[in-house]
Amino acid sequence: MDAADRCEQIISLLTLSSCLPVSPSLLQPTPVILLKEGTDTSQGIPQLISNINACQVIAEAVRTTLGPRGMDKLMVDSRGKATISNDGATILKLLDVVHPAAKTLVDIARSQDAEVGDGTTSVTLLAAEFLKQLKSYVEEGLHPQTIIRAFRTATNLAVSKIKEIAVSVKKDDKQEQRELLEKCAATALNSKLIAGQKEFFSKMVVDAVMSLEELMSLKMIGIKKVQGGALEESQLVSGVAFKKTFSYAGFEMQPKRYENPKIALLNVELELKAEKDNAEVRVKSVEACGGSIQTSVGAMTDDVLGQCELFEEVQVGGERYNFFKGCPKAKTCTIILRGGAEQFTEETERSLHDAIMIVRRAIKNDSVVAGGGAIEMELSKYLRDYSRTIPGKQQLLIGAYAKALEIIPRQLCDNAGFDATNILNKLRAKHAQGGMWYGVDINNEDIADNFVACVWEPSIVRINALTAASEAACLILSVDETIKNPRSTMDGPPGGAGRGRGRGRPHAH
Amino acid sequence: MALHVPKAPGFAQMLKDGAKHFSGLEEAVFRNIRACKELSQTTRTAYGPNGMNKMVINHLEKLFVTNDAATILRELEVQHPAAKMIVMASHMQEQEVGDGTNFVLVFAGALLELAEELLRMGLSVSEVIEGYEKACKKTLEILSDCVCSSAKNLHNINEAKSLIRTAVMSKQYGNEDFLANLIAEACVSIFPESGNFNVDNVRVCKILGCGVTASSMLHGMVFKKEAEGDVTSVKEAKIAVFSCPFDCMVTETKGTVLINNAQELMDFSKGEEDLMEANVKAIKEAGATVVVTGGKVADMALHYANKYKLMVVRLNSKWDLRRLCKTVGAVALPKMMAPTPDEMGHCDSVYLTEVGDTQVVVFKHDKEDGVISTVVIRGSTDNLMDDIERAVDDGVNTFKVLVRDKRLVPGGGATEIELAKQITSYGESCPGLDQYSIKKFAEAFEALPRALAENSGVKGSELISKLYSAHHEGNKNMGFDIESDGPAVKDMLEASILDPYLVKYWGIKLATNAAITVLRVDQIIMAKPAGGPKPPQGKKDFDEDD
Repeated sequence: MDAADRCEQIISLLTLSSCLPVSPSLLQPTPVILLKEGTDTSQGIPQLISNINACQVIAEAVRTTLGPRGMDKLMVDSRGKATISNDGATILKLLDVVHPAAKTLVDIARSQDAEVGDGTTSVTLLAAEFLKQLKSYVEEGLHPQTIIRAFRTATNLAVSKIKEIAVSVKKDDKQEQRELLEKCAATALNSKLIAGQKEFFSKMVVDAVMSLEELMSLKMIGIKKVQGGALEESQLVSGVAFKKTFSYAGFEMQPKRYENPKIALLNVELELKAEKDNAEVRVKSVEACGGSIQTSVGAMTDDVLGQCELFEEVQVGGERYNFFKGCPKAKTCTIILRGGAEQFTEETERSLHDAIMIVRRAIKNDSVVAGGGAIEMELSKYLRDYSRTIPGKQQLLIGAYAKALEIIPRQLCDNAGFDATNILNKLRAKHAQGGMWYGVDINNEDIADNFVACVWEPSIVRINALTAASEAACLILSVDETIKNPRSTMDGPPGGAGRGRGRGRPHAH
Repeated sequence: MALHVPKAPGFAQMLKDGAKHFSGLEEAVFRNIRACKELSQTTRTAYGPNGMNKMVINHLEKLFVTNDAATILRELEVQHPAAKMIVMASHMQEQEVGDGTNFVLVFAGALLELAEELLRMGLSVSEVIEGYEKACKKTLEILSDCVCSSAKNLHNINEAKSLIRTAVMSKQYGNEDFLANLIAEACVSIFPESGNFNVDNVRVCKILGCGVTASSMLHGMVFKKEAEGDVTSVKEAKIAVFSCPFDCMVTETKGTVLINNAQELMDFSKGEEDLMEANVKAIKEAGATVVVTGGKVADMALHYANKYKLMVVRLNSKWDLRRLCKTVGAVALPKMMAPTPDEMGHCDSVYLTEVGDTQVVVFKHDKEDGVISTVVIRGSTDNLMDDIERAVDDGVNTFKVLVRDKRLVPGGGATEIELAKQITSYGESCPGLDQYSIKKFAEAFEALPRALAENSGVKGSELISKLYSAHHEGNKNMGFDIESDGPAVKDMLEASILDPYLVKYWGIKLATNAAITVLRVDQIIMAKPAGGPKPPQGKKDFDEDD
């Protein structure tokens, strides 16, 4: 009896349990599940508008850093490290943007950084301004593809206009070329923290780049930071400098200065091996002096030994530095930066990096345009005139492009606290009268011929900024749907490997 | 108590806990159709030159901005079993011809949508299927009549360019002329007289910076690597390729060396150094000027390579190594030894250069008879470059398809409308109930020009009526004029907007097959998804990371 009773109970339990999960689906039709649970989709014009708004927010973050009167940003990352910068690419990199559309702006800033090294803020601003001008057209229901076509046309026109009006400087004349380079470097440094010392640094940067060989590898310029001292105490060493003291027993007795030494570059431990005939310094990374790096102590012949005029150990700030100076085959140089706070020297390093990149571009590509919003105003005028000659929607759109270009001088004025409307009016009038190079004069709250005022930029910087900004704007415009899959929670090795590989992005420094 | 006799359990009880079960027309067939319809609606807006991009963020949080249907679907992780079938059909299309994936989706979606109408009218599933099958067979017969031209000489860059242009246009509208030119040059230069074309021989290298129009094409290969040693440029290079690390040989077995005194210790490392030097010297003396290795480069070996002025390049991917071997005509040596002249490859110039701020090593042939060509893509964002890469892939695939079958049909919806017209009249000649489904099959073709029109902001119905009237006058090649503002039609042959015959052939075939398979299902049984860790996704190719 007892057993049968329990049996019945079990059966009823069984049927119940196997019935329950199915029954709801039998009663009411479940919705069709097409995608994985948790997938997020959004579509249509509202989605496009929201993407545009997101980009605007990003641009807002860097807007105030543009130009000589731009302000710096202080950012504290998740590890509590503080960074002060007004370099658009650096700021955006540290912001850690996750919004997929806004990420595009971060990407173009990175691209500008990679291609020309400077102008990262302008490229972001331009892209955001393009989108802002277009927002109303998108809301009115203009097809994004029409807009994209108009923008591509406008960009092509603008780029060919830049090429047409850019002034090229003859390479043969060394003196003239040098002047050009220094002016370009000065313009780049103008908007940075170290604007006050721009003459000093632009000279240094040009010297540094000039000492490089054909390929102009950036790695061959070392930048060392030593805290303390004034900015002007920074120096350029044509050769190598590094922080290291003599490193073997009894080095106190050795002289700290050698003239015309022969140098053995070793990257093996110098422990058991016997002493050689000159100062032995353990060198971690040196690629100068014309000596090749030696792995073996065996074949120590003359041709593998490097030479330099002077080797000395010097006190720099609180550190002892080794200098190799006046190397005959020197294709490398080192900049030793001095300065107060750590953040300050770091920002100086970034600024110098930008300036170095600009100088390198200017050497490869010797045409320049006037900065300070002059070229943008000229392009704006050119495109506006052009747009009046064509019929249809394109006219409006190219007009919008022309208007968007004015953001650069406008922001320059805003950041300097000038009346932007007033200055822009003056600029427009001047450009209409043929004053091609008139731009914002930051010092006198007026307009000035920036070509005469030596505010020069390599034309490639502007060309790249325009192309990148309009490509980004077109990319964002062409998206009408976002589908976000839930992040997979795979934590096994395949997931980890996949994540690393999936990104597959070249990590630009 | 009397013994309890349990009732015969229903179907649901026979299954494991949590299993789902749907059957019948209403529950299974219509649900499936709805799922497929929804999917095709997502990709429909991406069809054609004016199609919009989709932003897809996959489960690894990688962002894709694309209008390539195959990519969207791959990253979407479609879960619905019936919708998956259509996805599979589109994958087949990708593998078979490499282009026209969206065509499959839109067409299959349209077929199913119309099938639903038929079923609601009261036709049985089998009648619909029979009609679709008949119509499909007839379509493929008619399709060969639609052929309006054929490629004459694929070795001619200009001709290849005009053929590739249509495929590129649907991905990168606005840049099509520029990109088609690059792709055509790349394809033609590696297209041998024997007519054996390998898609893999057109390589793509993406480098951030500048704009799309700065992209270029060269004969040979480009690697995002730096030269290891001091030598950064070699002309008329003789290349020795090693699949092993550029290092001294390590023995398989472990050996113990007993060193008694300091002299022996010094001699030991000296012996190693001498051996290495002899090795490198032998390679140099064999005539090699460039060493390419698949493994690590030892400091010691590099030192001697610098000494003997050898350029050393390190490639991590074994595929890259193989391709390089093919490009330069070298044989990869498994062991560090001096190569024979036959084993060495030749390249006109090997040099390190900087593109943007990326260091690249270029293996370049001056002549146009290389085995591998590379398209260097520039762009301002990674997503943009990825999308251009897909456009290049499509273009190259189109070239491949044309190598197999030179026939071309007009694009821009012209072929579809012609087929629709002919199938409708064929349907009317059929006596049975399948007449309805054949006519619906014809109607399904209208979905493609309609999508083209709607994506361009033109009224679909207006365009389709215009197209029909043009085709009834006998203008078989009239298609949608995408450049115009309204629903205008244009002769596609004159505008040279042509699709390869095979793309359409397989597209129609695969879409019909997928639609029929979905219709055939009358019961869905889904087991409860098992818990536990997911199986690793082994699909990833080694090659993907280059």
